[in-house]
Amino acid sequence: MINQNINVALIGNPNVGKTSVFNQLTGLNQQVGNYPGITVEKKIGFCKLPNNVKANILDLPGTYSLNASSIDENVVIELLLNKNDKLYPDVALVVTDVENLKRNLLLFTQIKDLEIPTILVINMADRMEHKGISLDIPYLEEQLKTKIALVSSRKGFGIEELKKLIVTYKTISSEPCLNASIIDPEYFESLRKAFPSQLLYKLWLVITQDVNFLNLERKEIHSSFTKSHSDLKRLQQKETIKRYQFINDTLKVGLKVDASIAKDFRSKLDRVLTHKVWGYVIFFLILFVIFQSIFEWSKIPMDFIDSSFASLSTWAKDSLPDGVLTNLISQGIIPGIGGILIFIPQIAFLFLFISILEESGYMSRVVFLMDKIMRKFGLSGKSVVPLISGTACAIPAIMATRNIENWKERLITILVTPFTTCSARLPVYAIIIALVIPDKRVLGILNLQGLTLMLLYLLGFGMAIFSAYALNKVMKIKSKTFFVVEMPNYKLPMFKNVAINVIEKTKAFVYGAGKIILAISIILWFLASYGPGKQFKNAEEIVKAKTESTALTAVELENEVASYKLENSYIGIMGKTIEPVISPLGYDWKIGIAIISSFAAREVFVGTLATIYSVGGSDNDDTIKNKMAAEINPATGEKVFNFASGISLLLFYAFALQCASTLAVTKKETNSWKWPLGQLIFMSGFAYLLALITYQILK
Amino acid sequence: MLQEIIAFIILALAVGFLVKKYFFKKKKSSKSCSSDDCGCH
Repeated sequence: MINQNINVALIGNPNVGKTSVFNQLTGLNQQVGNYPGITVEKKIGFCKLPNNVKANILDLPGTYSLNASSIDENVVIELLLNKNDKLYPDVALVVTDVENLKRNLLLFTQIKDLEIPTILVINMADRMEHKGISLDIPYLEEQLKTKIALVSSRKGFGIEELKKLIVTYKTISSEPCLNASIIDPEYFESLRKAFPSQLLYKLWLVITQDVNFLNLERKEIHSSFTKSHSDLKRLQQKETIKRYQFINDTLKVGLKVDASIAKDFRSKLDRVLTHKVWGYVIFFLILFVIFQSIFEWSKIPMDFIDSSFASLSTWAKDSLPDGVLTNLISQGIIPGIGGILIFIPQIAFLFLFISILEESGYMSRVVFLMDKIMRKFGLSGKSVVPLISGTACAIPAIMATRNIENWKERLITILVTPFTTCSARLPVYAIIIALVIPDKRVLGILNLQGLTLMLLYLLGFGMAIFSAYALNKVMKIKSKTFFVVEMPNYKLPMFKNVAINVIEKTKAFVYGAGKIILAISIILWFLASYGPGKQFKNAEEIVKAKTESTALTAVELENEVASYKLENSYIGIMGKTIEPVISPLGYDWKIGIAIISSFAAREVFVGTLATIYSVGGSDNDDTIKNKMAAEINPATGEKVFNFASGISLLLFYAFALQCASTLAVTKKETNSWKWPLGQLIFMSGFAYLLALITYQILK
Repeated sequence: MLQEIIAFIILALAVGFLVKKYFFKKKKSSKSCSSDDCGCH
């Protein structure tokens, strides 16, 4: 962070287009990735403003007011109250939606009371004409004691004017637009006298909120100015009423809506999309199309990446001088990296669809629809957001539970979220489905592989809800939280936002998992290429002696030696040790090793097998998929990846907690090892049992 | 011989990376309070 940069904070209610404004201001200069829909922490980007001014742009979580009720809302308040924070804003941009100005201005008036230079950004201004809205900007600027920027983050207009306005932040009034102390003048006066150097509204927030306030002795304020909880609540309500009175009076003159022009397309569409029958039918049809497309469209680029890495591996083997390093590169590093990059097309398509659903405003309708189901299972609607976000990654989804006020509901959501199908499961599902489910069509149009993938996603979601129901019964949750979901207007998805999201998420997937996979591939290669004892050292002589009577070609002999060496390598010995535990599930020792290594991250599964098969065979020119398809179990003579073992593996990965990071984040969020360990034992134990039963029935 | 040395250095780096990632916590870059539980409440 450069010190001379000015800090610009983007603040606003959820769904007013803060992130779109953020994207317009920063482009791809963003430091922190996030996941669709929810900004749970501060997100920082950089922007060049006129007059060579540089700015750090902070995208803060959406909040309705400064009266925080959840951890993510606290992020906003803590930043605004802490002048020592290096990200403390020089100027705040309060982003509002032109169609919801009245509600959005509540937060604006509170931030003005903190005496931070504040610009009112009225977003979605392109819809004003369509909705019959007209604004008296000079009047609003005068009443609200601010500067107003009319922008459309979707169409990109007003952004340059906003940048110019930010540069002039020192000239913007930091005077409050109403006096909050009128709710109890006597009390506020005594507060002012006791802390003359402190801002009155800050003191009020410290008293009413559970937030950090470094420069003040919190205890001192509390002991001197304690009021009962109900008195404080009553005063807060009074404050809100005063603010709305001021906003109403201001908008009566400053905002005009011609109802005859406004069209009611939105409510008509809402009636269909949130219908108790058609809503679900449409949602499942959309899901169906998404999963069919993920398989159909990804085929060609995936095959291309797979064969390119196979050729690269052969090229490295043939072109580089013989030796250990060449083997490491051709048998360890290249197959390992190939094992992750092959899934870029599927991951990109998945996030493309999720982004389009989010951008269009449809995802909020899905949350509303799902809320009805969730309530029947004892969860609040707020649990829907983490569960849906879990399709990307369980880590941010678990962090997103911070906006659930009720601890027990939050805990249950944390515990069941890892059941939803995250993007790390996709590589495992994709390769196993391609191996054991025939690539044919049902009823002429339905691709069987796509259908299987969709069923696995539904299975994960169903298991999450079922587990929540069971936990709810066991933990006896009595209290409920209220759920408010914002229904944004329907919009055509903006290409820039969708593209940024897809690039960001795919990059996070590749870099996040890629580094771990690369490191594990190197270690696996070592463990597979070296072994203890004479059996490994004298492998060639032993195999030659064993096969003396059979006339083997040079290639066949080479394969036999490689296979014998692998079995007697360190990894072979480890695999053989655990084989008795996993063979009832239909897996051989190589799959066992892949399961263990993929505890670091599920995606490691494919990379591990790619490395093991590369070391154990002489033919590097084959693709990962073909190598897996050709693998034969020497004990049974059958294919290792057959229908029974494949389905068993799919179910194992659907339910097992194969993710060290999820355990770490659960520990962090629950502040105890009890919950993550319970989660691990239950999920992995259940996965093992189910995979065992499935294999034994299907074999 | 040289290939062997480089390969083992790469192996040591890989092991070091995983050990650091899973067994050592990252140091916080900021002293300020954000959504993380910094223990200042």
